[in-house]
Amino acid sequence: MPFATSNFLVPNGTFIVVLLAFIIVLGVIAKFVLPVLNAALTERQEQIRGELAAADQAKADAEEADATRRTELEQARNQARDIVAGANATAESTKAAAVVEAQAMHDRIVASAEAEVAVARQAAVEEVTAKVGAIVLAAAERVIGREINAADHQDLINEAIAAVRTETSGAAAGGAR
Amino acid sequence: MGPVSGLYGIDISVGDHVQRKLFGLTINVDIVWATCIAGLIVIILGLVLRAKATSGVPGKFQLLWEMAVGAVQTQVEDSIGPRGAKIVPLALTLFIFIFTCNLFEVLSIGSKLEWLPAPTSDINLPLAMALFVIVLVHRAAIKNRGAGGYLKHYVAQPFPPKLFFVNAFMNVVEEIVKPVTLTLRLFGNLFAGGLMLSLLAALVIWKLGPAPIGAALSVPFTVLWKLFDMAIGAIQAFIFALLTILYFDTAMAEEHH
Repeated sequence: MPFATSNFLVPNGTFIVVLLAFIIVLGVIAKFVLPVLNAALTERQEQIRGELAAADQAKADAEEADATRRTELEQARNQARDIVAGANATAESTKAAAVVEAQAMHDRIVASAEAEVAVARQAAVEEVTAKVGAIVLAAAERVIGREINAADHQDLINEAIAAVRTETSGAAAGGAR
Repeated sequence: MGPVSGLYGIDISVGDHVQRKLFGLTINVDIVWATCIAGLIVIILGLVLRAKATSGVPGKFQLLWEMAVGAVQTQVEDSIGPRGAKIVPLALTLFIFIFTCNLFEVLSIGSKLEWLPAPTSDINLPLAMALFVIVLVHRAAIKNRGAGGYLKHYVAQPFPPKLFFVNAFMNVVEEIVKPVTLTLRLFGNLFAGGLMLSLLAALVIWKLGPAPIGAALSVPFTVLWKLFDMAIGAIQAFIFALLTILYFDTAMAEEHH
């Protein structure tokens, strides 16, 4: 086996050419490709960061709006409670006033009724008294016109008194009613 | 190089290239054009991205790029920190370019000369990239520590200064070995991959009587191997880029006294 003029472990002129080729490839990648790719990557990171910040902002806004809404709702509730309480108080006072007024009216009516009763009674008594006078007069005439009889007089007197009682009790009952 | 073996009736040769002389230098023309095609593919992919890149919702193509860039950036920031941002383009280009080169091996059929050999299966491209990286690593180390600090670094660690000669020996060996291993790891994996394809192709001549057993086995084995080879290509591209980052990390590290 003759030893070859070249050995596959020994470099030759190819070395220079492929070195140049590699450096050209490296130059193109380093100068023209990677900067563009890195710019795109950086820009995307910025975009994502911006979007995240915007999302955080939106979340904060939403939370703030929610808090405002809650506060307003609470205020509205308190206001409603106050209004209902006020209405209840008004109703209570109105009711109390009505009761007082009604009581007063009732008292007034009762008082005037009692006064009327008293007047009527007075009138009845006076009328009865007048009638009793006439009866007594008539009774006295009868007594005078007849023979005096104690027992007969006693009967007449009782009769007269009963008549008066009937009159007055009837008048009193009518007045009380 | 000549045939490895004629013992089994097959003639597998390695390191064959279409060669031309240019200014007294031997040029492996097939490797040059394969390198240029791989480079053009990477450049076109890059320029398409440049035209289509959007800060909006990225397409699948842009997403792929972003994943690669993101992975490299994470790796760089984890090991070097923000100062390492400058080497992201280098590490990224290394990964994508080497991966593209390595994928060419899928097109290989195991013949003596390939139309489109994986450029990384030739020693020149891995060596060129490894030396390029190592030169930049040393430049970064000098920038970081100053010329005096850079030289002092060779003798001052890892052992106490009394053992400076041991330190110097270990460090010099380490610095020499770095580009060598970087080169040979990539080259060896891809070269072996091509060799494996040649062996699988040669399997076709294996017959038991009239039964073409080798031919029947060759196809599924080749398919399996190519799937495996794609994984190797990705892993080697990743390792090359990762080691580049780690070498820069060592060079740019703060001094710990």
